[in-house]
Amino acid sequence: MLGKLLKYEIKSTARIFIPLYALLLVFALLNKFLNPFEVMESSVRFNFQSVFQALTASAYFILIVAIFVMTLFIAIQRFYKNLLGDEGYLMFTLPVKTRQNIASKLLIAVMWYILSAVAVITSIAIMVGPREFFEFLQSMIELLKDGLGVASLIILPLFILIQLIHGTLMIYDAMSLGHLFGKQKLLASFGMYAALYFITQIILTIVILSVGSTMFTSFIHSAGPTDVQILSFLGMLGIVAALLSVVHFAITNYILKNKLNLE
Amino acid sequence: MSNLLECKNLTKSFGSLNALNNVNLSIDKGRIIGLLGPNASGKTTFIKLCNNLLTPTSGKIRIGGYEPGIETKKIISYLPEKNYLNDWMRVSQLIQFFQDFYEDFNRDKAYDMLNKLGLDSKDRLKTMSKGTKEKVQLILTMSREAQLYLLDEPIGGVDPAARDYILDTIIRNYNEDSTVIISTHLIADIEKILDDVIFLKEGQIVLTKTVDEIREESGKSVDSLFREVFKC
Amino acid sequence: MSWDLKSDRPIYTQLIEQLELRICAGVYPPGGRMPSVRDLAQEASVNPNTMQRALAKLEEDGLLYSHRTSGRFVTEDTSRIRETKSKLAQEQIEEFLQKITDLGFEISEILSIIKKITEELKK
Repeated sequence: MLGKLLKYEIKSTARIFIPLYALLLVFALLNKFLNPFEVMESSVRFNFQSVFQALTASAYFILIVAIFVMTLFIAIQRFYKNLLGDEGYLMFTLPVKTRQNIASKLLIAVMWYILSAVAVITSIAIMVGPREFFEFLQSMIELLKDGLGVASLIILPLFILIQLIHGTLMIYDAMSLGHLFGKQKLLASFGMYAALYFITQIILTIVILSVGSTMFTSFIHSAGPTDVQILSFLGMLGIVAALLSVVHFAITNYILKNKLNLE
Repeated sequence: MSNLLECKNLTKSFGSLNALNNVNLSIDKGRIIGLLGPNASGKTTFIKLCNNLLTPTSGKIRIGGYEPGIETKKIISYLPEKNYLNDWMRVSQLIQFFQDFYEDFNRDKAYDMLNKLGLDSKDRLKTMSKGTKEKVQLILTMSREAQLYLLDEPIGGVDPAARDYILDTIIRNYNEDSTVIISTHLIADIEKILDDVIFLKEGQIVLTKTVDEIREESGKSVDSLFREVFKC
Repeated sequence: MSWDLKSDRPIYTQLIEQLELRICAGVYPPGGRMPSVRDLAQEASVNPNTMQRALAKLEEDGLLYSHRTSGRFVTEDTSRIRETKSKLAQEQIEEFLQKITDLGFEISEILSIIKKITEELKK
């Protein structure tokens, strides 16, 4: 059943993202061939071509911002509209478990985070040229390997991933808690998010101060943190994020299962 | 073999408001039942409890022997009062959706009804009028071979011809193993197709009788009796 | 022939009357097969259970009979049908006479009025 939910979640959201990505790649190609960045470096000549180039460059940047905004917006909107809105009458009467409904939203949201990033990076690669891009990529990887060790190539992406999952689940949790407030659902959701954010910060501070204190003392004595220390620090934050994610998921699941009250 | 639907002391409250108060009900299979009552009488609350869209404050509800959950969702076909389907989908995609999630969905029946009502499966929901959307929703609901059909105001927003078709469909769909519960205000239109009638007032059942019992005993139609019982 | 079902009388009783009417009028001829319960219920826009009960009553009364596998049939006993026809006619006439005498007519007056009207109709 989860597979079917995922399938329809992708269908519902792809209609928005695929055209956006396509548009982004079109502008990337346009920019590559018109080379507006040259124009910006040299003296400004107000002919049709230069204006056009400036416009396509701006359009490209606007699209990138739009994609990031859209990705976050859609993640929130899918949960709010499809589960807590009128469509909830459909989703919660399907013979699926509540946690499958939540999981499908989460997994596809994360999928689009990753795909959006890939789309943007690909468009950059197109503009600067594949060879230059891969050279740049290789040098970044070398930098990471030297600076933080080989392990960082795995730990960093994982860290980012767990933070994305945690952030999304915290938003779902806030919306579910807000849902309990009848008339002022939307306002309550924002309020809940602020509260959850605040609590998360406190927890992080406590964790860093207690567990991290041992790490920090060694920093002071030596020249600076070693890669192992940095990576384990990130690892610890990652574990905290993972635990909080589980808590958020559990609360969301409990509320949607037992306290659902669709309009 | 227990009844299809059983409620014992079913109560649902929202804060201090008792939407349903100690409801006891036993419903057999093979019946067409009217759930009648004014607004805020608890009809929709009752239906949502059957569907697991609400959880009881106290008391029990069982459908096909199970508490509301995945097993009951498999055997219940629900038609809510609102537009609850994904607006951007085409009718054909919705049919596929229902077929994917419900084992008892009968695709041929759905297309047959679409044809009879003159609807195009390639149309998207958002291009349709309210009445047409409701017809589509009804077709999807009635194309399932469920054990319990819960219809919340199925004939409210459609024209009289479609109304007749919908009542026709309910009769045609009838089988001894399933039960249809219709919640509605439009009593005069449907009373002839009902077996039993349940009057709900302020969260409590005030009457359960068959249509003929009411007509025999009171010399009135159910619609007339309703107006009497619920006079403002 | 449309199903004339009033809203203040039990549907069951009215269905029996309507089915008897149709059998007498030959809509369902003697020995002929009856439509299925579902088809009849649909035609009359009534609950199938109620229709089933009405049909069962007519079976009990001998106007219909069912064959295990092939369905329901109208009796071939035409005298039985004539009996029912007479019964229905009698009921109609008694009702009519009651109304007419309520209006204040004498029976002899009524008979001559009827004779005059039937002669008019023949022309």
